[in-house]
Amino acid sequence: MSVKASESVRIGERIRRREAERLIAGKGTFVDDVPLAGTLYVGFVRSPYAHARIKSIDARAARSMGGVHAVVTGDDLVKELAEVRGGPARHVKVYPLAVGKVRYVGEPVAAVAADTRYLAEDAAENIAVEYEPLPAVVDPEKAMEESSAKLFDELESNIVYEYHFSTPDLDAVFQRADHVFSLRLNSHRLTPFPMEPRAYAAEYDAREGTLTCWASTAGPHGFRTRLAEILGFPESKLRVIAPDVGGSFGVKNGGYQDEVIVPLLALKLGRPVKWAETRIEHLRSARQGRDQIHYIDVAVNGDGTVVAIRDKIIADLGCSYGIDNSISSAALYVPGVYRIRNYRVDAYGIATNKANHGSLRGIGKAEAAFVIERTMDIVARRLGMDPVELRKKNFIPPEAFPYRSVTGALYDSGQYEKCLDQALELARYQQAKEEKKRLRGEGVYRGVGVAFVMEPTSSSRIYATGGYATCRIRIEPSGSVTVFSSVGDQGQGHGTTLSAIVASRIGFPLDKIFVIRGDTGATPYGFGTGSSRSSVVQMNAAYLAAERLREKLVKIAARNLRVPAKELAIRDGKISSAEDPTKSMSLREIVRLAYGAIHLLPEDEEPGLEVTSHFINPNIDYVADERGRMNTFSTYPYAAIVAVVDVDIETGFVKIVRYCTVHDCGNIINPQIVETQHYGSVVQGIGAAIYEHIVYDDEGQLLTASLMDYKVPTVEEVPDIQLGHLVTPSPFSPLGTKGAGETGMLGPPPALASAIEDALAEFGAEIRSTPYTPERVLALIREARKGSLRAGA
Amino acid sequence: MIREIEVKVNGRLYRARVEPRTLLVHMLRDTLGLTGAHIGCVVGKCGACTVLWRGKQVKSCMVFAVQTAGTEILTIEGLQKDGELHPLQRAFWDMDAAECGYCTPGMLMAAYGFLLANPDPAEDEIKHAIAGNLCRCTGYRNIVEAIKKAARQLREADHGQHPER
Repeated sequence: MSVKASESVRIGERIRRREAERLIAGKGTFVDDVPLAGTLYVGFVRSPYAHARIKSIDARAARSMGGVHAVVTGDDLVKELAEVRGGPARHVKVYPLAVGKVRYVGEPVAAVAADTRYLAEDAAENIAVEYEPLPAVVDPEKAMEESSAKLFDELESNIVYEYHFSTPDLDAVFQRADHVFSLRLNSHRLTPFPMEPRAYAAEYDAREGTLTCWASTAGPHGFRTRLAEILGFPESKLRVIAPDVGGSFGVKNGGYQDEVIVPLLALKLGRPVKWAETRIEHLRSARQGRDQIHYIDVAVNGDGTVVAIRDKIIADLGCSYGIDNSISSAALYVPGVYRIRNYRVDAYGIATNKANHGSLRGIGKAEAAFVIERTMDIVARRLGMDPVELRKKNFIPPEAFPYRSVTGALYDSGQYEKCLDQALELARYQQAKEEKKRLRGEGVYRGVGVAFVMEPTSSSRIYATGGYATCRIRIEPSGSVTVFSSVGDQGQGHGTTLSAIVASRIGFPLDKIFVIRGDTGATPYGFGTGSSRSSVVQMNAAYLAAERLREKLVKIAARNLRVPAKELAIRDGKISSAEDPTKSMSLREIVRLAYGAIHLLPEDEEPGLEVTSHFINPNIDYVADERGRMNTFSTYPYAAIVAVVDVDIETGFVKIVRYCTVHDCGNIINPQIVETQHYGSVVQGIGAAIYEHIVYDDEGQLLTASLMDYKVPTVEEVPDIQLGHLVTPSPFSPLGTKGAGETGMLGPPPALASAIEDALAEFGAEIRSTPYTPERVLALIREARKGSLRAGA
Repeated sequence: MIREIEVKVNGRLYRARVEPRTLLVHMLRDTLGLTGAHIGCVVGKCGACTVLWRGKQVKSCMVFAVQTAGTEILTIEGLQKDGELHPLQRAFWDMDAAECGYCTPGMLMAAYGFLLANPDPAEDEIKHAIAGNLCRCTGYRNIVEAIKKAARQLREADHGQHPER
């Protein structure tokens, strides 16, 4: 790496990840690593049924076991706690442990605290729960029918959320169009799968009256507020620490039904309490993602111009104890990077007897990208057009930015055609097409596919992500710099990027800068990570705070050197005059003066060197206009992909030969971090496209509750990934950054579908659903062959 | 049913009281306080708890603590020498092979054990060696590059010490 820690840096330099040294040395502190003397461990009793009434719970045997300190059930908590939160439509009360009824396999029913992990599990097994099974609601389309069993007796149906949007006169546009195609497109159910499952630890200090809770969460501040409200404990006496967090990918955003159990037991028992979720518990009860069906009608003119889209979305939201933003995110962004001005969407969120639906890297937007990219490929084939040309014909052109989409989204900046061309060049697209022809002669089914995905980032929703972030920076009297970030970190490298931004403004070396994050006792209030918002809101907040500090340092120097501030520059630990280098003060001297000799400060400056700045996304709508249009994201990064695959038509196995992608996330703070993030994101997308699949049977039993059944890509599933950058800065922030975490993940489902379809072109196969497992690819070939036989007859 | 065993971990002799069913990873973490090995699945499928047992990489959730009585174990905490990162660790840092860091200790121990037995591996062999270790952040590319780099450096250092070879 080119930069030493003792040097100051510029934004955009490739700096080795500062926080990695501890982690590589085995000195990371994840929640379960936090040493707490005399810890009790929690075990949960979880429902084996997808849908059942709880008839009785007999915990006498567990309570009488030596080393068991507490047993709690849902009914106990109803008496003690405030309502946890409104479920669907805010008509349904949800408690930390099931009350009356269970609605998914894995729903917590009772909890115990015991001396060891093993004993906690033994005790949980000694709790006898009698259930009366009810019909399981599994298929979301059947769940919409009146005859379906209902999850919530309090509600009229299983439809727990609706979203509707339409431009005027849509039917007329469809009638005038040369072609109308109808498709049913489906993104299947996934789980985010961070390497560290969820975990909580808590300790009550009776002398101070403070409750400290460690949580593997992406949003410690929100958790603290929920704890205060649910436990009825003063928020001021609560401290939540998200120490090292072993990945999230959305699954650790927001609240969980059972999240208050550990702190509650710590309060009740006056001893430290811990719970580390097992992987089976995680797969059963952590939030899952995707799982949307889209019924699309697309109207196209003879020249390939897409003039209108009509979409009906059916989203499987699982038990719906909390409702996420997947539906509106999908609905607002189906038109994607294309200039489509006529659009209607009717979306329905359906409660089913599955684990709660929630955030997963690219939530909603991945489903939208799959839908529009599949649509473009299928339209191109049916019209006999080149899929690249069809996309280029419909792209929003560079001169149209900032571009207001049909749904009211405000796209910040982009050069879509340039990006696609760069990807075609990176992949040697024409050559690959020719090679495909040659290989077909040798019996190889090679396919070359394209996709173009856009990822709205830096979400700004009221009460959910807020639309702002805060950074406090203090230059300490002895000359080190503390950066307090409102956003935590689950592996994104904020400690490195934030310190580089600060160093670049105030000229202090990296090894003097320390970033504090994830601790509500120290950091400003914030909404945590999500929708790749940190590189937009948090980084710009740090930039603004550092810039104000820089101005203050320079003003102090100007006053004391008696030269105009504009003559001064920070370099080599000093602030010196460009005109007269003898007029110079060391940063050290200025810092001491700012704290200790305030009579030497400029008149309008306060003592000390501490600044708090907010960055507020400038281009956000917090409420929709009269026609339902709104912009809820501030930046719109995107990526073009060319994928080359070989399909084995005997086994259905897809081998990715090359995966070439060019992405644009605006200005890059640290290329190393962006690249690593992008590789990981692409590989997670490959998992989503081919390997990973959350499967429930007709009774709502989870068939994929372990790594034996839920296949996360290993190193051996990773193809040759080639990555190119294109930089189009965002005009909406001083740093010009956009989110960088998710475009990678969005690419593989549409790009690999495009490539597989190309490989199977002679069969006329059309892919309308993820994933592309061998058995599904074989079925696709079988179906296509049957279809062509029928067509031939 | 508590048994007391003696086990050498990172060169230091420990006495530990464990149940017959206690897994090695739980003894390391909960009894000995060595929390470097992490638990990602506890059924031998993710590799986050990989350590060296009798000189070979093993998933410590697949071994009972009592089985290790009288034997030697090396964990991530023992990979550094005199406070200096091992060249393999340094390569992980240089090549940006760790993001959230949860899988990293297990990944490092799997790679370390592998390189002990295969100092000059082909890329395919490296991939095969860590195929039982999941990483969700990095996409593996930098991990493979780091192991390649470390193997090269370790071989060069080895040649430096034994010029006659």
